[in-house]
Amino acid sequence: MAPTSQVLTKHSSNVRTIILNRPQQLNALTLEMVSQLLELLNAYEEDPSVKLVIMKGEGRAFCAGGDVAALANGSWKQGAVFFSRAYTIDYLVATYAKTQVSLIRGIAMGGGAALAIHGRFRVVTDNTLFAMPETALGSFPDVGSSYYLSRLPGFFGEYVGLTGARLDGAEMLACGLATHFVPLEKLSLLEDALCKANTGDPEIINNIIHDFSNKNPKLKEKSHYFRLKTINSCFSRRTVEEIISALEEEEADRNMDDWISWTIQALKKASPTSLKISLRSIRAGRLQGVRQCLIREYRIFCTILQGKVCKDFFEGCRALLLDKDKNPKWEPSKLELVSKQMVDSYFAPLDDEDWEDLKLPVRPNLTSYAISKL
Amino acid sequence: MDRVNFRAKVLTGHLKNHHNSTIDLLHTAQCVNYSPPELCEPPSAFNTKALRKLLDGESMDEIDYIFNLMIQSDLFCPRERGGKVFISPDFNKSMEHQREMTMKRINYLREQGAFDGWLTRKGPDAERSGFTRGITFGVYDHSLGIKLGVHFFLWGGAIQFMGTKRHQDKWLKPTETYEVIGCFAMTELGHGSNVRGIETITRYDASTQEFIITTPCESAQKYWIGGAANHATHAVVFSQLKINGVNQGVHAFIAQIRDANGNICPNVRIADCGHKIGLNGVDNGRIWFDNLRIPRENLLNSVADVSPDGQYSSAIKDPDQRFAAFLAPLLSGRVTIAAGSMNITKIGLAIAVRYSLSRRAFSIRPNEPEVLLLDYPSHQRRLLPLVAKTYALSFASEYLKNIYVNRTRQSIKTVHVVSSALKATSTWHGMRTLQECREACGGQGLKTENHVGHLKSEFDVQLTFEGDNYVLMQQISKALLKEILAAKRRNKPVKGLGLEHLNKPAPIIPSHLTSSALRTAQFQTDIFCLRERDLLHRFETEVSQREARGESMEHIFTVTYQIAEDLGRAFSDRLVLQTFLDVEATVPAGSLKDVLGLLRSMYTTIVMEEDASFLRYGYLSTDNAAVVRKEVLKLCSEVRPHALALVTSFGIPDALLGPIAFNWIDANAWSSVKDNDTIKDNDTVFSFFSNML
Repeated sequence: MAPTSQVLTKHSSNVRTIILNRPQQLNALTLEMVSQLLELLNAYEEDPSVKLVIMKGEGRAFCAGGDVAALANGSWKQGAVFFSRAYTIDYLVATYAKTQVSLIRGIAMGGGAALAIHGRFRVVTDNTLFAMPETALGSFPDVGSSYYLSRLPGFFGEYVGLTGARLDGAEMLACGLATHFVPLEKLSLLEDALCKANTGDPEIINNIIHDFSNKNPKLKEKSHYFRLKTINSCFSRRTVEEIISALEEEEADRNMDDWISWTIQALKKASPTSLKISLRSIRAGRLQGVRQCLIREYRIFCTILQGKVCKDFFEGCRALLLDKDKNPKWEPSKLELVSKQMVDSYFAPLDDEDWEDLKLPVRPNLTSYAISKL
Repeated sequence: MDRVNFRAKVLTGHLKNHHNSTIDLLHTAQCVNYSPPELCEPPSAFNTKALRKLLDGESMDEIDYIFNLMIQSDLFCPRERGGKVFISPDFNKSMEHQREMTMKRINYLREQGAFDGWLTRKGPDAERSGFTRGITFGVYDHSLGIKLGVHFFLWGGAIQFMGTKRHQDKWLKPTETYEVIGCFAMTELGHGSNVRGIETITRYDASTQEFIITTPCESAQKYWIGGAANHATHAVVFSQLKINGVNQGVHAFIAQIRDANGNICPNVRIADCGHKIGLNGVDNGRIWFDNLRIPRENLLNSVADVSPDGQYSSAIKDPDQRFAAFLAPLLSGRVTIAAGSMNITKIGLAIAVRYSLSRRAFSIRPNEPEVLLLDYPSHQRRLLPLVAKTYALSFASEYLKNIYVNRTRQSIKTVHVVSSALKATSTWHGMRTLQECREACGGQGLKTENHVGHLKSEFDVQLTFEGDNYVLMQQISKALLKEILAAKRRNKPVKGLGLEHLNKPAPIIPSHLTSSALRTAQFQTDIFCLRERDLLHRFETEVSQREARGESMEHIFTVTYQIAEDLGRAFSDRLVLQTFLDVEATVPAGSLKDVLGLLRSMYTTIVMEEDASFLRYGYLSTDNAAVVRKEVLKLCSEVRPHALALVTSFGIPDALLGPIAFNWIDANAWSSVKDNDTIKDNDTVFSFFSNML
């Protein structure tokens, strides 16, 4: 166990624990980390002595996502390498043959959230904070999230994906993103118990987590989840424009509703191009398997990195991560200026000789739980 | 609440499903494993999305949006089977429950804005979007599609096409928002296809400026009126119009039959048609009118009107033409049926083909794995030609949609004939396909959740409504005959309906057919044209001989039905081939074009093999017929590697297929039986959340 390693592992007879170890950067994923994770996950799956794999983060975050600031600077082809590995991990986790538990303490955003959500047991706690904040950054919810967001109740996934709304542990449990809620003080006890059980039997693992968990964590008074009815009636609309106008109608009907105003603001602050791509991607994801979702998202992200259609991603990284002026200048600046042809081009194969669609490994023993978790 | 329970159910399912350690001990014995076709089949040789685009065109996004709306609502009864979520109505519930669910689903879709602009937007794109909606809702449940179809295409269409501005301004908007729920009261107990024979009578009372609608006898009761039994507030009533003792023929009137609270209006009696073999989510009813008075303005007066003092006037003097104009709304119904049939057919084939790519039966040699169903040539022969024909008819129905939405006064006749041909051909094909799929799935085909068997009874009515198929076939032949006789009379070449080939010399069919000749577009076109030409000639000869003998036209058409039917099919098949070739021409050279060519050859070859007219009238010699039969076998084996990609390109989401299309072993595992017990425990655990929703 090298002390500088960004990914640590812990062995306890038949249990392996993977620890994301870049606490200063909230465990944001680097190319080195994704390469290492890929190797580990593959090795554990093949190793007959491994029965259970636990994943967690060092420090106050689970994982804040991909280290995108670094990507925005490099060439798009370097970025493509990073994403093809990151997406392969997501696919591996989604179809993992062994029982796998993620302990999600603190922040789990974007690609960091996906590492856990694709897995079988997703344990959240008091300080868990989930978000897919990509649209504010000029990007879109990727890492297979068009698969799991689209499978949340009603149109909650569209809401979470488009606005970047932050969810806490109780909300994640309520909507199905998490399978269990374990109070913070019991989390390390749970980890010990899982190691001690030394089994891969999902039913036993489930019972252990169940024993530690709070079955009814109270949703906070202002929880988004109480708004599901409004979310369903607005975020089910055909286009982003119609979603916003439905929200504005709702706003007009009620006085001073902070939540609606916040939602509209979040949509207005996001990149118009990103919003349109995101909505289309989530809707497409609803009709596809996780594999197709990742392949589509890879096309989209490569097109974004290529920067031929729109450069909002670079502008978003500049404004939010590098210069931190929090004032991105989106181009096109308005939804109505983003044409259908522009959006279409993100969903088509790239016009580049060297580029090819994401090649995911063939998973021969796809069990049914691996196909659908939510 | 349901949603939360459902999620709980799904999660519990995952926990219970797998890796039971005691079962591992049994693994020494060989068990049948499910292996997804995606893993075993060769990767698609062509771009499945590009092929789907040829089927659905610009409507693709709208179709997928509608699927999204349905999949995400608990009203559409999501259920987990074998790790996947499926949506399907609960057909095990009572008729009343099914009807109420249909209405709830409609209300939900209305609230999401899914019907916005359906009737109030104008132009080809708006009309195309209307078709897309009507047809796509029907993929989930035929009852939902029909209930919407009656309201928008029949009631809404009657107001659009038979009414004038005063009706459109007053009714279209409230129809779109469902403040008014419409039905279409045309068929009577005593008269169906023969609309001109209906017996309901309407008179005019100049003193009050009202029409009075009467059901004079039991056979005049309105029958099968979709929506009438429970929900409709208004009806378009078809009736003979008697003015000053003169019968002016069939006209249409708007009558309110229920008030806003759902109470039946005075002077109207309504009864239920009862439980049916399918479509129990539609409330078909019967209506009697006891001198019901309606305002004069409620006559749909686009072609004829009655003045306040009771004078009848019509811009169209010929009662035949007037009648044809009245029936315009039925035209859109046929377009919907032709296209909708293809969706049902796609569902059946996607399920049966996927099942046949994961289910095995019998080993050829001892100790060898059993053979995949679709690797049996006989199984290929049962399913793959139907896949090819579904593509052919889907392209044709796209063409029909196009000529409908771009119709002009000149082209309306073509739309009429083409829609009759495709309505009949598509529904026959649909019914046959579902039966074949049912049998191809064996016992699993009998389970309602697997769709293929149940869809048959849901779908069956399509062969009857909007014109009985056999009646339509005869109408096509009559129209074709009229067309060539008119050309002869004017001494001009035949034009329109694709009949231009009649102006050229008859094509010659080689006496010794080869496999490669069979696959050329030239030969295929030649033999289909030859068949149409010859049958038309025979039909014309027979009709004129009988006419010379002094038989009446009515009598002649009743006794010449055999050849008329053959001719109707020949016309349809040639038309379908032509539209297929047109689609192929738009595709650049490459793997997709190759597959299309293969499908076209499969389609034409199978028509030649199956339709007796090719041998009966000698378009194929017995030797050539043997070559055709051999070619079918070859084509099947060539289409086989594309089978999965071809049904994937249909674009029907997994959630709308049945469990046997996927992991049918997990879907039937003991753990899934146990799930049903654990659900009950979870009710209490999750009831907390239900209070919040």
